[in-house]
Amino acid sequence: MKSPQDVRLRDLSQRESEPLFDITRAQLRPLPDAFTAASAGREWKPLSESTACECGLDNTCALNLPKPSTWQEEDELVQRFIQGVEKLFTSENNWGFLQPLVLTMEHCTGCQTCSDSCHIFEASGRAEPYRPTFRSEILRRVYFKHVKKGGLVSRLQHGDIELNWPMIARLAELAYRCNLCRRCAQSCPIGADNALVAHELRKVFSQEMGIAPKELHERGSMLQLKVGSSTGMSPRVVRENIEFIDEDISEKTGVEVHTPWDVEGADVLLVHNAGEILAWPENPGAFALILNAAGIKWTMSSELLGYDSINYGLWYDDAQFARVALRHAEVARKLGVKRIVIGECGHAHKALGVIADRLLMGDLNIPRESSLTLLRDIVLSGCLKLDPSRNDFPVTLHDPCNLVRLMGIVQPQRDILNRIAPGFREMTPHGVNNYCCGGGSGFAIMTPNNFEDWRAQVSGRKKLEQIVNAFSDCLDDGNPKFVCAPCSNCKGQIRDLFVYHDVWKKNRIFYGGIAELIGNAMTDVKPGFIDWEWH
Amino acid sequence: MSVFEIQDRKYEVDEDGFLQSPEIWDRHVACDFATTEGITEVSESHWKIVQYIRDYWLQNDIAPMVRKMCKETGFKLSEIYELFPSGPAKGACKVAGLPKPTGCV
Repeated sequence: MKSPQDVRLRDLSQRESEPLFDITRAQLRPLPDAFTAASAGREWKPLSESTACECGLDNTCALNLPKPSTWQEEDELVQRFIQGVEKLFTSENNWGFLQPLVLTMEHCTGCQTCSDSCHIFEASGRAEPYRPTFRSEILRRVYFKHVKKGGLVSRLQHGDIELNWPMIARLAELAYRCNLCRRCAQSCPIGADNALVAHELRKVFSQEMGIAPKELHERGSMLQLKVGSSTGMSPRVVRENIEFIDEDISEKTGVEVHTPWDVEGADVLLVHNAGEILAWPENPGAFALILNAAGIKWTMSSELLGYDSINYGLWYDDAQFARVALRHAEVARKLGVKRIVIGECGHAHKALGVIADRLLMGDLNIPRESSLTLLRDIVLSGCLKLDPSRNDFPVTLHDPCNLVRLMGIVQPQRDILNRIAPGFREMTPHGVNNYCCGGGSGFAIMTPNNFEDWRAQVSGRKKLEQIVNAFSDCLDDGNPKFVCAPCSNCKGQIRDLFVYHDVWKKNRIFYGGIAELIGNAMTDVKPGFIDWEWH
Repeated sequence: MSVFEIQDRKYEVDEDGFLQSPEIWDRHVACDFATTEGITEVSESHWKIVQYIRDYWLQNDIAPMVRKMCKETGFKLSEIYELFPSGPAKGACKVAGLPKPTGCV
């Protein structure tokens, strides 16, 4: 086994099935001194499937990819990979992403500015394979050799590659060591996008070879298309659950809350990430409370897919993405709503708000708005009676990558917090320069093997450091503090990160969305909307 | 596919240790899976929660909302965490023989 800093590209072709390198605690970037991590003594679970599955990269495993049993099977997989890469570079097969992909392949100068912007590379103690350009360099060599059919001169110029099955199996795992946060792309002087490369590789694996994490495909987008939601909630169950939330919130706030269903011609079709309904019901509850109080003509939809904004295809498969996005738009068209408002979910914003713009034509191209701008307009309009002193605790703000870096929704959430949270303090860095929570691109719901250890120790490490530093003046004072994370995926990751590192019990740092903070400041409701009960 | 072995019994489980064939579940299976959650003795309180989750799942093909479970069983969430240290989704659902909850939960 090599030191993570010494792994080179050619090592990925090695036939030994043992991991190439091991991320050990000693190499990880240290956490702030003020924060003595309870997790320091926590054992990283050993790889459980290493004999039956391809676990040849590092000491974790996201895909549980079965090992091919024959040489013939291996050769077929290699051929399918090459064919898939060839398709990536044709406009009829990849019109959405071809241009930035070719730019990244042909114009990266190798300056490594991007490496210093990557939280995973930094947290791992600069493990070479996690460098943003490492996986791009593999694809680049495949591109020049197999797509551009370069000869000897090309190989001398661009480097050669031994593209065997062990290389491809390791590359499949490596495509799932990037959060697709695109902080590297933002830092690139010429606009090369190494996160896009990880995304395009995931597409080849899923679309051409049927390789994708179970949580995203089989139990994710496939389940959503079948029963209506990746959570498994059918239309009947979602209505029952929302009815329960309405009753619960009415009881808690003293204000009668009622969620309207399937209202034709409504101004707003509100679509939550359905995970909110099950895991953080106070968020949809707060939305209902706020929209009703503001007099918005809104509705939810009980059509299949109409009540779950998630679109996991965004992370790994264009075809699955398109199937889900079309259904979302059709639900809105059928109801004849004026616009779709996307709840607190970052990837749903990117999916329906940005990428679907290349897909939805004519009357399917229904206006879409972020819930953050709608909430900002409501809060600043003065139509709600708000008492900031009800939020008399320190609050910091996480910037979900898809909302902030990608879409530029930077100020609305700050306008809200400046109005309702006197203890608001920024984390460093923030806005478009903020770091990913570490759960981006589906990681927050992926748990195979010991992937949770990797997520809590490596990809989430930078976020933990930022949060701890934001509360360095009150870390151990015993009073509750709040990380506002207006995104389901980020909330799931922050919850897991806090449990792993014992942050709630030890430092009293809680987390939640932005609608809950607004609900907590509303003077027409009973105090204590945020009840500080860990969940 | 992994196998969870206890005494002379073997269960096929997914990579997170959830029972692969929920239909074979019964009280004995629940007791075997409770050991994986560090539960030494399955009390009446454990059963009350497990039975609620199991019945809800049989009717709705999905685990119940945690908040609904608290309200309908009368347990506070903190008490559920005391009974099932890995929590309602990862702990109690596993003992109740449900598949692992899916989606952004």
